Amino acid sequence: MFRKILIANRGEIALRIQRACRELGIHTVAVYSDVDRNALHVRYADEAYLIGPAPSRESYLRADKILEVARKSGADAIHPGYGFLAEREDFAQACIDEGIKFIGPKPSAIAAMGDKAVARATVQKAGVPVVPGTEGEGGLRDEEITSIAPQIGFPLLVKATAGGGGKGMRQVDRMEDLSGALASARREAEAAFGDGAVYLEKLVVGARHIEIQLLADEHGNVIHLGERECSIQRRHQKIIEESPSPVINADLRERMGSIAVKAAQAVDYHNAGTIEFLLDKDKNFYFLEMNTRLQVEHPITEIVTGTDIVKEQIRIARGRKLRLKQRSIKQSGWAIECRLNAEDPFNNFMPSTGTITRIERPTGPGVRIDSSMYEGVEVTPYYDSLIGKLICWGESRAEAIIRMRRALNEYRIIGVRTNIPFHQAMMDSHRFIGGSFDTTFVEERFELERDARPEDERIAAVIATLVEHQFEQHAAQVVRRNERDTSNWKWIARWERMQR
Amino acid sequence: MRYVTTIGERQYTIEINRDDQITIDGVAYPIDLRAIDEATFSLLIDHASHEALVETSNGEIQVLLRGRQYTARVEDERASRLSRSGSGLHAGSGEVTIKSPMPGLIVSIAVSDGEAVKKGQTIVVLESMKMENELKAPRDGTISSIKVTLRQSVEQGQALVVLT
Repeated sequence: MFRKILIANRGEIALRIQRACRELGIHTVAVYSDVDRNALHVRYADEAYLIGPAPSRESYLRADKILEVARKSGADAIHPGYGFLAEREDFAQACIDEGIKFIGPKPSAIAAMGDKAVARATVQKAGVPVVPGTEGEGGLRDEEITSIAPQIGFPLLVKATAGGGGKGMRQVDRMEDLSGALASARREAEAAFGDGAVYLEKLVVGARHIEIQLLADEHGNVIHLGERECSIQRRHQKIIEESPSPVINADLRERMGSIAVKAAQAVDYHNAGTIEFLLDKDKNFYFLEMNTRLQVEHPITEIVTGTDIVKEQIRIARGRKLRLKQRSIKQSGWAIECRLNAEDPFNNFMPSTGTITRIERPTGPGVRIDSSMYEGVEVTPYYDSLIGKLICWGESRAEAIIRMRRALNEYRIIGVRTNIPFHQAMMDSHRFIGGSFDTTFVEERFELERDARPEDERIAAVIATLVEHQFEQHAAQVVRRNERDTSNWKWIARWERMQR
Repeated sequence: MRYVTTIGERQYTIEINRDDQITIDGVAYPIDLRAIDEATFSLLIDHASHEALVETSNGEIQVLLRGRQYTARVEDERASRLSRSGSGLHAGSGEVTIKSPMPGLIVSIAVSDGEAVKKGQTIVVLESMKMENELKAPRDGTISSIKVTLRQSVEQGQALVVLT
């Protein structure tokens, strides 16, 4: 029995886990950095503790401080969320040493899957197909990589052995580009994971990214909750996910699902995890990696299978047997998730920081939002640009897309730029609607047109002009221009309402 | 009152003579604009209903309509004529300072002093929000000064490189 769980994370996922705890009657402990005092995960928690300055390395990555808070607050378990300490076997081990349950797999399973080179070798032995690439388990030196590269063939991918989320990953099309890509991948991996080791993998051309959600209890039962289609990516970061996938039928789902179960059993895996596969044009699939944690996109699986993955994680960590049986898992309808990032899609997806001054969320049938945004929250440059997830369900894929369009139209955020226009354009794209895309689609064939909606631009011009006109007419009578504060729009609105 | 409103590269000439009617590029439309709250405006234009969030900052008006944010500059006609006649002097000449759009770490400087660059060419790579972001030249020019060094932490708005 857990009475109190510490959530070693921030943002929307910390909130998601706290919600599960609330429903289970478990108290929550939040940790936060200097800049997150006003964050929703602190406000929502039962207890909250400051653990250091804004940079992750000095706060959310400080295992020692987090364990100290766990001791002080009397937490029985720690949920790591995703990112930060979620896939660090030393942290999982430190929790065990403290007598605190780590809600996730055993340290040995994290280690085996965490080093992507070791993971490839391990699952291959268990009969799981892998993408051709560098063999062996150790970190390779630049000279070794350069000599192996021509045997694998181009195009290929440089990937961080500690990797995840596309960080420290580079596509290399020609030998000449290899050394530059190695340097920049190592640099990014070093910054993100504190480990610059990389390996090579052949680039599977025209591949789709399909992953299988697993649940494994501590009594040897492993089930899968079907697939997620995650091919809509940019710079190897997923942007839109859906479940089911438009290209997977029941037979392929079963084959991928049972291979995924095998891969998990190869490392005696416990708790929730995800096996990522590449699916080529001929429907051959290859193990890519295992994410030994909760995924960002878990809600789409929850919605189509009617499960609560976070609550299942907590039950499993309590030592319970899985209540769900493989044969009882059915996918119902279709779910799509759009990741909302604070970035400007019209300016090379440059991260956008600032204070969210206004936010209005879509509601209505089939809409779920997992987000940590509120009016007045500051989006800082210290963490990931993901500020929320919009998830829509429909009876069919078509209905899910139409509903997503409707919900995106209703979503209003001012203060930071968001990628909502990108999502809108994707929901209108023929290729997306037709389900014919691979992981290169966004970067190679998808053009975000600035001019897609000339009529809306005209209306925007009218509204801007009317607002300015009213302001000029009314403000001149009351205050001189240079005495107005910057938020003169507030003033106009007040004036407007007074006149009614 | 006649206004010239600019969004991106397009200009709209909008005339407001009555509270309930406007003329856009010569065509008259009945309108009704209401402030719902401090930022939300509801517009009926020829009975078509639109709702937008509006915010002003630094002389620009941000309009968020159906998921997309438009940056508008509204000038009355006289001011617009003045600014147009002046703008020819500056186009394409003078210094451009490339500033950091956000706090971050300089992880690569792709140009050197005195180098000629093309519009869109990568100037520096800034790491922020755990991602590497390429800052590109806004126009063709020559690098006249590099104000940062590799691995330097920079603040938002800090000058990085000057282009002439």
